[in-house]
Amino acid sequence: MQILRETNLEGLKLAQKIGKEKVLKILEKKGLVGRGGAGFPIAKKWKLALDTKANERYLICNADEGEPGTFKDKFILKNNSETMIEGMLIACYVLEVKKAFIYLRGEYDYLREELEEKIKEVIGKSGMNVSIDIVRGAGAYICGEETAIMQSIMGYRGQAMYKPPYPTVSGLWGKPTVLNNVETLTNVPQALLYDDWNPNYRLFSISGDVNHPGVYEWELGVKMSTILDSVKPKEKLKAMSFGCFGGIMPVDIKAKISQDSICKENCQHGAYSIIFIGEKHNIVDINLSIAKFYTFESCGKCTPCREGTVRLLNILKKIRDGGCNDEDLEMLKELAQHIQDTSLCGLGQSCGNHILTGLKNFKEDYTRCLKK
Amino acid sequence: MKIKLDNKTIEVKEGKTILEICQKLKIKIPTLCYHKNMFPEARCRLCLVEMDGKLVTSCSTKPIEGCEIITKSDRILKARKMNMELMAPGVDMSKLSDDFEAREIYDEVGLQTERFKPVKNYKADLGASLVRDNNKCINCGRCVQVCAKMQEIFAIDFVSRAHNEHVSPYNEKHLADVACIRCGQCLINCPVGAISERSHLEEVKKALNDPKKHVVAQTAPSIRAALGEMFGMKPGTLVTGKMVAALRRCEFDQIFDVDLGADMTIMEESAELLKRVTTGGVLPMITTCCPSWILMMEQFYHDLIPNMSTCKSPHEMLGMLIKTYYAEKAKINPKDIVVVSMMPCTAKKFESTRPELETGVDYVLTTRELGRLIKEKKIDFPKLADEKFDPILGLASGAGDIFGTAGGVIEAALRTAYETATGKKLKQVEFKNLRTNKGIQEGEIVINGKKIRYACANGGANIRKLVENKDKYDFIEMMACPGGCVGGGGQPIYFDDKVLELRSKALYNQDSKREFRRSHENPIVKKIYKKYLGKPLSERAEKLLHTKYEKRSQF
Repeated sequence: MQILRETNLEGLKLAQKIGKEKVLKILEKKGLVGRGGAGFPIAKKWKLALDTKANERYLICNADEGEPGTFKDKFILKNNSETMIEGMLIACYVLEVKKAFIYLRGEYDYLREELEEKIKEVIGKSGMNVSIDIVRGAGAYICGEETAIMQSIMGYRGQAMYKPPYPTVSGLWGKPTVLNNVETLTNVPQALLYDDWNPNYRLFSISGDVNHPGVYEWELGVKMSTILDSVKPKEKLKAMSFGCFGGIMPVDIKAKISQDSICKENCQHGAYSIIFIGEKHNIVDINLSIAKFYTFESCGKCTPCREGTVRLLNILKKIRDGGCNDEDLEMLKELAQHIQDTSLCGLGQSCGNHILTGLKNFKEDYTRCLKK
Repeated sequence: MKIKLDNKTIEVKEGKTILEICQKLKIKIPTLCYHKNMFPEARCRLCLVEMDGKLVTSCSTKPIEGCEIITKSDRILKARKMNMELMAPGVDMSKLSDDFEAREIYDEVGLQTERFKPVKNYKADLGASLVRDNNKCINCGRCVQVCAKMQEIFAIDFVSRAHNEHVSPYNEKHLADVACIRCGQCLINCPVGAISERSHLEEVKKALNDPKKHVVAQTAPSIRAALGEMFGMKPGTLVTGKMVAALRRCEFDQIFDVDLGADMTIMEESAELLKRVTTGGVLPMITTCCPSWILMMEQFYHDLIPNMSTCKSPHEMLGMLIKTYYAEKAKINPKDIVVVSMMPCTAKKFESTRPELETGVDYVLTTRELGRLIKEKKIDFPKLADEKFDPILGLASGAGDIFGTAGGVIEAALRTAYETATGKKLKQVEFKNLRTNKGIQEGEIVINGKKIRYACANGGANIRKLVENKDKYDFIEMMACPGGCVGGGGQPIYFDDKVLELRSKALYNQDSKREFRRSHENPIVKKIYKKYLGKPLSERAEKLLHTKYEKRSQF
């Protein structure tokens, strides 16, 4: 796997040799984009932070992998954390950062001791004068969001803030702050060092009704048949869901999995976590359990998400129990669209995806539940 | 920078939000969580507009060069309405009081309540001063911001998350059990009326209907400058005479003026100041008219207890005099007297329940409650003819009037302190440096060769600043509400800071028109001292007019 290649501080040495301008140029040329879900070019993000004048900058490594069905960051933290820490050091060097943070998901606390030792070891070897602190999340999903993570690190309520100002301009304690995902930072030294580094390789977290769930690495554009050959479905597959928030679409054996093919179905690829759903499941049940998740995880700040999600859940419960008519379906759609349109942060803006794509692709599952 | 706004190309300044631009152009956009003195949090999502085809909140979004903004379209109106319905399901419009911002906005956006059922089920939090009903709350967060940023008390914050998120003191304790100073600024800034005062109206009505009880009303200086607003009169209209007339129609037996109590406070306080200055007592001496400040001191700064003047607040002083001096004079059993104070303040309600002050004032009504009482009696307030206070305790000096505004207590006290100590007349009784509308005001005066440096702060954040610098001064006035009592938590809801200036101006006007402008010139004050108390700080005065303070826990 490309992501497991160890760089042994060679990437950092190269970066220090060629200087930050060149590092940015190489990263831009190699096309390294963020792996957290939004796919923002890393060189552009770093430049934005560099262009903001400040006496201090911060770096955060986002290891708050809270999306259901996503576990690739845990895989990296377990197997190649040195390279990730090296990636952080390169970022610290380029961005002139003195203090960096790793925001570790609360449930990954068992990885912390080992990670702390690795940080000490790698920083010691590099000879750089930086500190990397591990901040343990307390379990809120919203704290994986860019602005909420910063509120949480600063000790405030983990709630999203509106943008702009973007964190690259005003983040932690009002200073420019760069936030990168574990996978992205691990890719940084690898992209710098190896000529055969491929920007299109992605880690896929596969789970659901398959015999071989786990983390896989495929190139974007991979055929569905290749994926299914590797993961070995337990039964005939009906749908695949991109995490909790990406949307839900039918499994098409002939399809190729890429950004475009997913977006064409109004879904979001996110961090490429795919939950396969077998034929025996009703999509209403799937959407209901997803709705339970975001109804619990909404931070409560803005009206549509706070008040809307619980109503989505209530309508879905009513549908499952067979007490609904067409009007309720319309309401469900309208409300989901409304929450998407008017919410403050990414959570609200994408929590309707499942309902909308589910209604579009699996209408018969819903109509089956309607009152006769 | 050029932008397109509702199909018109206009030039705008960079750095302004869309809402600010629209307000300047008189384009109406409904807002609830937005308050111009506070940091926009974009919680309520009501001020939505379309920018380049995307719905954005105008309060938090700054336009970019060449963008196209639409403020009215079907999509926008539908989205606003949906958010309104989500926010306030089950709101009974007929029960919603007119004075809250939301009323107009509910009407404007068109609130229908049948689509969603309410999911909230909270118990109302009953405090001695304030009542919080989270079922009405729309989580706009203004109270939290006011408490944290303007008052720096941090008594409340959001707790829990998702649809369970609600505002509460820490650890979901009751308001009465935490370090809250009961200033009521959260109430003033609440757009939906989820916070209200603990009403004493029923008790007062019961006392009024009881023939055995002798019910005495006393009215604070600042309410006469604000009560008119409850009846659609312009802010800053002085309604002293109408207020007295209305109280008589409400069948109060006697109507007295707390301004006289303020004069008494000045007599005691200025004597105390002079005593401390000449005998080397603890300085700076700090005024104690504001019950919120007293609570704040007891909770956060109890090492200042020796600095506090021991004077009771004006209405407690007058309340005591009513139950002693007046009772003796009118030959009424003090037990049959019910003293009702009309106050601009929610903290006074708590003050009247303090054990050491229990004997003076029985009930406190806020300006809003008084307005409600007058409305209930169907009195046409603006058309009432002016009447005068009852003469026994009804004449005050201009010094008492200005108690209602920030800086007024110091000004009044120094007028008396200077003249009683030096025996000379002040050339200028108006202290210009105490009338600047600033959060912290300061100055100095020389009395008998001794320089007295004074300062006053209004608003909790300013108080905290002044406490840090207290050693620079000899005499300090603290008022917990912005602008002093004119901006008190019991006053009619206002939306514009200019209202406070107008209310203060009205009080200063009344002061300038008074026959007596110094407390020690007030003939009633002279009479009380001559016949009853002796002189300021006498044994009897100490017993009736002075009090003590206690240390309170912050937790």
